[in-house]
Amino acid sequence: MRPVDRRTFLKEAAVVSAATAASAAVPGAVLSAQALLPRRPRTLEEWKKTPCRLCGVGCGLLLRLENGRAAAVKGDRDSPVNQGSACAKGYYSVQALYGKDRITRAMVRRGGALVEVPLTEALDLVARRLRDTAQRHGKDSVAMYGSAQWTVPDAYVATKLFKGALGTNNLETSVRIYAASAMAGLESSFGLDGAIGCYDDIDHADVFVLWDDNLAETEPVLFSRMLDRRRANPAVRIIHLSTRTTRTSYAVDRTLLHLPHAGLAIANAVCQEIVARGLVQREFVDRYVAFRRGPSQPGEAPPGDPRYEEEAGEADWDGYVKFLAAYTPQRVQELSGVPAENIRWLASVYGDPMRKVMSVWGAAVNRDVRGTWLNNAIHNIHLLVGKVASPGNSPFCTTGQPSGGNAVQNAGSLTHALPRGVVQNEQDRRRAADIWGVPVDRIDPRPTHSALSMFRALERGDIRFLWIQATNPMVSLPNLDRYRRAAAGDDRFIVVSEAYPTATTDVADVVLPAALWIEREGIFGNAERRLQHFDAMVAPPGDATSDAWLMIEVARRLGFSSLFPWDKSDHVERIWDEYGRFHPDPRSTLPSLAELRTRPGLLWPFVGGRETRWRYNTAHDPAADRARGDFDFYGHPDHRAWIWLRPHEPAAEWPDQAHPFWLGTGVVLEHWGTGTLTQRIPTLHRAVPHAYVEMNREDAKRLGIRNHDRVRLTSRRGSLELEARLDYRSQLPPGQLFVPAFDEAVPVNRLTPDAEEPVSGQPDGSTCAVRVERVSGGRAS
Amino acid sequence: MSSPERAPRGRWLLPLFLTASAFTAAAAIVVAVERAPRRRAPEPAPASVALLAAPTDSIPGEARVFRTAPAMMAIPPDTRRTREAHPRSLKTYHYLRAYPGAPPRIPHELTPEEFRTSACNTCHERGGYSRRFAAYAPLTPHPDQGPCLQCHLGTDNLMAVSLVSPDPNRRCRQCHATGGMPRPQAETPFDWLTTTWPRLPSSTAEEQPAPILHAAEPRGNCVACHAGPAAVAEVRTSHPEWADCRQCHVAPDPDAAAFTRTASAETVPAGGTP
Repeated sequence: MRPVDRRTFLKEAAVVSAATAASAAVPGAVLSAQALLPRRPRTLEEWKKTPCRLCGVGCGLLLRLENGRAAAVKGDRDSPVNQGSACAKGYYSVQALYGKDRITRAMVRRGGALVEVPLTEALDLVARRLRDTAQRHGKDSVAMYGSAQWTVPDAYVATKLFKGALGTNNLETSVRIYAASAMAGLESSFGLDGAIGCYDDIDHADVFVLWDDNLAETEPVLFSRMLDRRRANPAVRIIHLSTRTTRTSYAVDRTLLHLPHAGLAIANAVCQEIVARGLVQREFVDRYVAFRRGPSQPGEAPPGDPRYEEEAGEADWDGYVKFLAAYTPQRVQELSGVPAENIRWLASVYGDPMRKVMSVWGAAVNRDVRGTWLNNAIHNIHLLVGKVASPGNSPFCTTGQPSGGNAVQNAGSLTHALPRGVVQNEQDRRRAADIWGVPVDRIDPRPTHSALSMFRALERGDIRFLWIQATNPMVSLPNLDRYRRAAAGDDRFIVVSEAYPTATTDVADVVLPAALWIEREGIFGNAERRLQHFDAMVAPPGDATSDAWLMIEVARRLGFSSLFPWDKSDHVERIWDEYGRFHPDPRSTLPSLAELRTRPGLLWPFVGGRETRWRYNTAHDPAADRARGDFDFYGHPDHRAWIWLRPHEPAAEWPDQAHPFWLGTGVVLEHWGTGTLTQRIPTLHRAVPHAYVEMNREDAKRLGIRNHDRVRLTSRRGSLELEARLDYRSQLPPGQLFVPAFDEAVPVNRLTPDAEEPVSGQPDGSTCAVRVERVSGGRAS
Repeated sequence: MSSPERAPRGRWLLPLFLTASAFTAAAAIVVAVERAPRRRAPEPAPASVALLAAPTDSIPGEARVFRTAPAMMAIPPDTRRTREAHPRSLKTYHYLRAYPGAPPRIPHELTPEEFRTSACNTCHERGGYSRRFAAYAPLTPHPDQGPCLQCHLGTDNLMAVSLVSPDPNRRCRQCHATGGMPRPQAETPFDWLTTTWPRLPSSTAEEQPAPILHAAEPRGNCVACHAGPAAVAEVRTSHPEWADCRQCHVAPDPDAAAFTRTASAETVPAGGTP
């Protein structure tokens, strides 16, 4: 519709009425008023597609640009992920590009303060220090800590630089602290990382079991898809296992509250009940499942030596049944606080042959100190009843990061990984050396450090140069003060690529200005293995440059131009082509960039023009061998999925007399990560301006704490002052506290322990023991 | 006069009279349109709305639209039609939205229970008069989508128990207190308002039904915004009782090119479409 203002209207009215009158006066003359009006150009609305920059759901968004700025957002109805909907973060996400304190110039620390320098000077300095450090202290004295917010090309360039050029495996990303247990769980149960099903399972499942405190706020759009499914099919049920009552609890059909760290016991009890009641799908188990026993007392990983391959002892059906005998619903009721009859009911739901079940979990499970085992245990339930790898039957682990899960790890950005396979495998090393054009013995066959171990090496001085990109470890690492001290040590050169000042840039010696999201071309990979492409749509401010290009510039200064020969104009496409050469077979074929440009994302493996929606299912996965029946779990050499015997173990830290409360940390809908982006989006910031601690009303009364009072939380590692909120977003059972972790000004990780999960290396950041004291009154409630 | 020989002499009188009337009518319309908005609203409206009913006029067709059981409303409906604190205007409509199509912010307080359980549909699914906020509750065009707080945000000061109070000052402060309703985007360095809101159609003498200026998804329920006491003042329809809005009002696709003929004898085989 043409825009009209008053003057124009009057003009037009006069013209039209004159024309009308003239038509009446002169019969037979047809004067079209339209023909007399001046022609106005039509404004074309152009909406460009992109995946959302925040969270791992990976909603497809359409952005509208005006005058070179992103100005409006709507959900992409063509995207199978969100089908046109979004959440508040997505709707306001583009504002993250325009915060007042955006870093637009490179900075170098001189005399204690960061001063702006030309970008070339900063890059020269970075390259020089990297080379000098490696020469003086050895190739393993330099390291990179990247991010699950990297695009796939960023991750690939980092892998090639560190493993192919510099020859060190000191490359880790924040995937390690958020999702490593999920990866290790899939690798141990099925032999390969990557989701088995996809979000389509939501449209087929009859029951959803959420092993996560608050899916309505951690993965809002997935949760609303489940609600839609239930609205259309009233027989669908959503069951929620949680340690506290949240927004999710009010929307689901049944909430089972349980004590922290009881997940393994509950999962084993469900399996025990399934076996005891004869609900096992014996045909499926006999044909497609094998049993494995891992070390029962793995303890904590020794420093610098994470175990990525467990020694697996064989077990059998009888051994498994015997193992389960200890997990009766009665015994687990004491361990978990879930009544035995509810455990039995949950088992009957899983075991019902007429209902398809999708289990969904995320950080709450992965951050457990036995996160890998808990992942295995939930997979076990599905394997026992044959509900896996088919539409609606899906053990599904979500990730919280735009490229978390497998997009970044698949590009090789973990210490043990290569763009295909692992460094320990000779064939994988040869393939990489071949594609990269480097001698095969350049690639080190030993993994060096997982993320925490890397920061401990920094503390010891084994690592003297660390380049951090697109993540905020000086807020997100557990036992935070220890690693802040490590980074601030003498002779530790820290380079940080960032878009905004953070606690991590506070410890940097060099800050490089990073381009954000649609300021550069990229590809993200979400939790359901969907790769999504976005164009560069707006110009980055000042000297801001993509992470990939900054690394290429440094690589060339180090003398590796032949490995990074690409031109800036098409380097993303060249990188994608090269990365594709690692994945020529149906187990992991990638779609081409041309295909990704035109579609709102494509699932990989993408074979013969078709997405693989359900892996290991011979009807849906071209890599699965039909001769083996309905399923072919080709990840393992015996083509079977493995049920692991995983005993319940107590948490790393337990409340005691001095620290009587459990503290849990997590997420609110309005903020993401450590808040670097969302706190600079005014509407999101105003909705939740700062973090707080929630506690049980009775506990608060007993301690004399009122709503909005300032309180101090003290753990064995440190203390923290913050505001108390009662009856706010969630309701806590007695003895438990909750603090959202998005706020740099309330660094809750000062309190959490950094015990590492021994198989995956993911730190147990989920709970710790604290005491609470009232400090002062807050504002009147 | 009826003698036939007089008719030829006055033949030019009739067209002249008609033309003069047409011009006068046009002028009258212009004047009426000019004056009408000024009398109705303190702030200038972006376009005239002569074809749409003024908000203070009673719209007989609405009488039965919002009937609902008191128990469902949870607040006894006021049978008196109380004067609103402020009618819902296009200005407030824009004020709550960061850009055209954005989910509106929540401008009022919530009880802790409402905040936790997303009980927004209690008022917003069917509308009606809310004594608590002294206003008619706007209808949501998508009551089936939820949870509401997934997209609609408020401010941190949502958590105050708002009691029904006879004190008009207290009611006002629910929205206008510090933190209640945030200041407009002048605070932010990023000027959302560069994105143009669709302009309302002029009252065209063509008398065509106005085209739909916004995306239809998820706004399938036209009555929610265009009819009723909580409707946005400038876009109220004069005929809410006509059932099928889309019979006359269409949503043109701005990206569609002009029609060009692509089918021909070669491409369309005899016997049907390809």
